[in-house]
Amino acid sequence: MRLVGLLMLFILCFMSVYSSADAKIYIDITSPAAKKLPIAIYDLPGSSGREISEIIREDLTFTGLFMCIDKASYVEEQTQPFSQKNWTPLGIEAVVKGKAEEGNEITIDIAVYDVFEGKEILNKQYKSEKAMLRQLAHSVSNDIYKAFTGLDGIFRTRIAFVADEDGEKGILLMDWDGARTRRLGLKGTLVLSPHWSSDGTRLAYSSERGRQWGIYLLDFGKMTEKRIFGSKGTNMAGDLFPKGDAITFSSSRDGSPDIYTLSLKDDTLRKLTSTQGIEVSPAVSSDGSLIAFVSDRGGSPQIYVMRADGSDIRRVTFEGSYNTSPNWAPSGDRIVFSCRRGKNQICIVKPDGSGLQQLTEAGNNEDPSFSPDGRYVAFSSDRDGMKGVYIMRASGEAQKKISPRGLRSYGPRWSPN
Amino acid sequence: MKSRNFAVFVVMVLVAAVAGCQQRVATKQDAQDGQQGTVHKHDKEAERVTEKSADSRIQSADTGSQYVESKDSTFSDVNFDFDKYDVKDQYKPLLQSVASWMGKNGSSKLSIEGHCDERGTNEYNLALGDRRAKAVRDYLISLGVASGKLDIISYGEEKPLCTDQNEDCWGRNRRAHFVILNKAGK
Repeated sequence: MRLVGLLMLFILCFMSVYSSADAKIYIDITSPAAKKLPIAIYDLPGSSGREISEIIREDLTFTGLFMCIDKASYVEEQTQPFSQKNWTPLGIEAVVKGKAEEGNEITIDIAVYDVFEGKEILNKQYKSEKAMLRQLAHSVSNDIYKAFTGLDGIFRTRIAFVADEDGEKGILLMDWDGARTRRLGLKGTLVLSPHWSSDGTRLAYSSERGRQWGIYLLDFGKMTEKRIFGSKGTNMAGDLFPKGDAITFSSSRDGSPDIYTLSLKDDTLRKLTSTQGIEVSPAVSSDGSLIAFVSDRGGSPQIYVMRADGSDIRRVTFEGSYNTSPNWAPSGDRIVFSCRRGKNQICIVKPDGSGLQQLTEAGNNEDPSFSPDGRYVAFSSDRDGMKGVYIMRASGEAQKKISPRGLRSYGPRWSPN
Repeated sequence: MKSRNFAVFVVMVLVAAVAGCQQRVATKQDAQDGQQGTVHKHDKEAERVTEKSADSRIQSADTGSQYVESKDSTFSDVNFDFDKYDVKDQYKPLLQSVASWMGKNGSSKLSIEGHCDERGTNEYNLALGDRRAKAVRDYLISLGVASGKLDIISYGEEKPLCTDQNEDCWGRNRRAHFVILNKAGK
C-alpha cells in the first residue's frame, strides 16, 4: 500500500513535468482574427524600472498580439500577491509584476500570471549593467512573448542600414525599434544594402571605392573587413547562402549585369544567368534552395525565381511594369518586393505568383526585408520628405519610422538573431 | 509478486520522469543559446543580459585609383528615355566628336558615368546606369576608340544634377556623363 502511495506521487510528478513541458499556447499567431490578449504590465519601481516596463509595453504592443491595459484599472498593489479573482471581472488575461534593484547593475525580478488558470507562468530574475537597460527589457519581452505564443520574439534583433555620413555613405546598426543607432565606420562613395549571414556574425555588402565596385565581407567576431570580389563593372552583393560558405551577387563584368555565386571556401565563381539585359538583386531562400531575382528579359523589370544552380527559371510577378528588390520570408512561403504603383510601394506575393497584396500607400517605398520570424518587414520610405527606415507588420499594419530624424537612411536588413 | 510488479512500474515511471525533465532542460537551453549574446541559466537563477560587442568601429580599406579626374570635362551628357538604355540618334554626332578627341589625346582615359532618375529603386538603377554607360562605351568602341581607354562606372540615382520632381529634371538626371581621367602624378 505504501508502494501505491509512492506510485501516485511519481505519477503526479510525471504529469506535472509534462504539463509544463507541453506549454499552453495562449495566442495562436497563425490565426489572423486572433483577438489581442489584454495584459496588465506594472511599472517596476524606480526610474530605470519604469523605463524597462515602458519598453516591454512598446515591444508587446507592436506585435499586434497584446493589448496593454491602462494602469488606472490595476486593482492590486504591485507588492500584493496576485489574486485571480481581482482580475477575472476586468477581462484582463495576463498580469506582469516585478521588483527592481538599481546600483551599478540593474537586477529585476519578473513574475507573469495567467489570470484564467490563476497561476504563475514565468518567474525569473535578470541582471545587467545599467548601460544595457534596453537589452534587459527586450530580453524580458522575449520571455513574455515566448510564454504566450510558444515562439521566439524578435525584440533583441537589430537592423543594419545605409546612411549618409560626412558626404559619403556608411553602414550603421540600430535596434529593431530604432534605439541605439551606432556607426560601424565602414564607408564608401556609395554603399548598398548590407546582407546578414544566417548566424548574424557577418555582413556582406557592396561599396564603390576609387571608381570600383567591390563586394566586401565584415566579420563582427574579428571586426575585420575583407574584399571578396572585385572586377570592372557594377558588382552588387546579394545574400549569403545559409551555411555561410557562398554568396550570390550581380556583376556586369561580362557586359550586362548577371547573377553569380561565389564560393567563399575555394573562390569558385559560377555564372547563373546570361541574358543581354539586366539581372540583379539575387535573394536566397532560407533553406538555400532558391534564388529570387530581378530581370528585364521580358521588357520590364520583374521578379523571377530559379533554383540555386540557375535552373528552372520562373517568372513570379506579372502585374505592373516595375517590380524589384525581392526578399524571402524565412518560411519561404512569401516574397516581399518593391512594386511601382505610380510611386514605389511594398508588395507581397507567394512564390507561385498568387496572393499579391500591396502593403504601403504613401511616398516611395523600397528595400523590404523580413524580420527573422516573418511577422514584420523593414523598408525605406521617403513619405515624410527624407528617406528613412520604417518597420511594419507583414500585413501592412503599424507602419512607423524608426531611423533617427534628419539622417537620410535606407537599405535596411533585419538581423537573423 | 504483485508488489514487485508495482516496483518495476515505479522505476519505469521514475526513469521516464527524469528523462522528460532532462529533455526539457536541454531543449530550452538549446533554444536560448541560439539567441544573440545572452547567457541563460536555470530559471530561478538570474539571467545575465549581455551583448557581443559589435559596436567598435573599423576602418574600411580604400582602394586608390591611379587616375585623377580632370577638371576640364568638356563633353555634354548623353540623355536617355525613362527606363531605357539605348543611345538615341541625336547623340551620335556628340559621340563622334568624343571619339575624335580621344584619338588626339593618347594619354587620357575617359570615364563614362551612368546615372538615373530617382524614380527607380536603388539596385536596379545601378544596373540601369551600368547599361547606359556601357551603351555609350560600345558606341565609342564602334567608332574606333580602344576599349582600354574607356572606363565605366554606374552611380544609379545617387548623384543627381537636380532634385525637382518633374520630367525636365528627371530627364536631365537620366544621363551618361563623361569625365576625363589623367594619369595620377601628372
